[in-house]
Amino acid sequence: MMPTIKTTPLHHWHRENGANMADFGGYDMPLWYASVKDEHLAVLSGAGIFDTSHMAAITVCGTGAADLLQHCFTNNLDACVGPSRRPLSPGRCVYGAFLDEKGHTIDDAIVFMLASGNYLVVVNAGMGAGVAGHLTGHLDGRDAAITDLTDRLGKMDVQGPAAAKVLMPLLADPETVFGQMPYFSFKGHYDGDSPLADAVRLDDGTPILLSRTGYTGEFGFEIFMAPEKIQSLWQRLLTAGEGYGIRACGLAARDSLRAGAVLPLSHQDIGHWPFINHPWPFALPFNAEQTGFTKDFIGRSALENLSDFSFTHAFVGRDLRKVAAGEDSRVIDADGRHIGRVLTCVTDMGIGMHDGEIFSVASPNRPAGFKAKGLCCGFVRVDRKRKPGQAVEIADSRRKLTVTIVEDVRPHRSARKPMAEMI
Amino acid sequence: MKEISELKFPDDRGYTDDHEWAKKTGDGVRIGISDYAQDQLGDVVFVELPDVGSSFAKGEEFGTVESVKAVSELYMPIGGEVTAVNESLADQPERVNTDPYESGWMIEVKASDPSELDALKSKAEYLEMLKG
Repeated sequence: MMPTIKTTPLHHWHRENGANMADFGGYDMPLWYASVKDEHLAVLSGAGIFDTSHMAAITVCGTGAADLLQHCFTNNLDACVGPSRRPLSPGRCVYGAFLDEKGHTIDDAIVFMLASGNYLVVVNAGMGAGVAGHLTGHLDGRDAAITDLTDRLGKMDVQGPAAAKVLMPLLADPETVFGQMPYFSFKGHYDGDSPLADAVRLDDGTPILLSRTGYTGEFGFEIFMAPEKIQSLWQRLLTAGEGYGIRACGLAARDSLRAGAVLPLSHQDIGHWPFINHPWPFALPFNAEQTGFTKDFIGRSALENLSDFSFTHAFVGRDLRKVAAGEDSRVIDADGRHIGRVLTCVTDMGIGMHDGEIFSVASPNRPAGFKAKGLCCGFVRVDRKRKPGQAVEIADSRRKLTVTIVEDVRPHRSARKPMAEMI
Repeated sequence: MKEISELKFPDDRGYTDDHEWAKKTGDGVRIGISDYAQDQLGDVVFVELPDVGSSFAKGEEFGTVESVKAVSELYMPIGGEVTAVNESLADQPERVNTDPYESGWMIEVKASDPSELDALKSKAEYLEMLKG
């Protein structure tokens, strides 16, 4: 029997507003509305809103919840916040992954600490049951209740330098909410019965969990709320953001923004191979010397005793031309050897090259008259380590392009800017 | 994505199964992609076109059109020699989206077999194909 495609609470709005729809993770989701390019650029210069209700969430509660997550999640919850590696505390969240015994990725996730013994784990579309099952399978007598909230939460992202300004008039107490809100922190709760709910309410009393996170590399928020309330907020944000050039954005812009921000797509850039030797070492519990791990976790032994070495690197092209990523793509080194394949290859339309340097439309030091023509970027997985600055060729059946291995792609991203600069 | 009824399909040209169009213009034949094709592609950001003087058979790939998300091949609606390419698409590829039948044209060819033009789908036949 064919699986039924799911929809989010905003599905009707997407259809009504001419979205180009496609199946993503089992959900009928908007790829773009009128223009991917305009949506991408809106997030760099103003604001964009994304329907992300397709993403799944799980609650993990109980006296054994922290220990269970510490065992299953890659990041060290006792040492993961800020440069000084403080323990995860209520109101903070952290990125990492759930691995199997082979060290392969089940899914990446953000773990939100709501309170002692009370966590919200956000995973990818369609992964709620799988990750919940994985956690349940590793309870080993720990006291933890695992609840899959798939399709029971509404979620949207407000991303871009104007995100706080757009949101501000819709909040009951914006000064308090934005008062102390560093990157990867959150406030409030989606459940009005939670003691945390009063920390962030909309002006109509609707409780939301507001997280200073996102998947674009730009300043902004993820909002978790009751599904029946999301359409009203979506519409109100579009109205409130008119003066800031706000746009509803689809998954295509989300993909090009995250690639330019060197963020992985689960099951594409991370997947059924060891979760190591990639651009996201902060998701692993490395010691200060990066020579070993600071805690035990599922998959640790496999990562410490690798038999198949592969290296994932970010790359940037010389212009906007792309190749088709996937099984049939090739990465070729300077000696003509086939050393791997392309995982992601998209065009970031907000950047361009000038005298060998990448500038963004948001770069304060961009040259006079700079026009972002777009650059292809993404990730390759190769069988030998490459260094930043090295050139490789990427190829599909149609074309071969020379690209450069890099540590970063789109410059002058706003995600980590101090809140005071953004309100 | 637009409904078929919202898209334009001039009846002064022929169409292919691959969504190219071909229109007779004086001595030559002008070629581009249909409104349906550009709508499916989304923002066109790059168009790779052949050199003037190159020759292609009907159905042969003559270039690529690249959107933010994907790269698609362009196939010759008829065989012939390329006599002109739309140089303006190098700086303004978005013309393929905004004006696919006029300023967004791609190449002009001298047909090797003019009867191939007659074998292309009419507007009605093309619409029938799109509607399934």
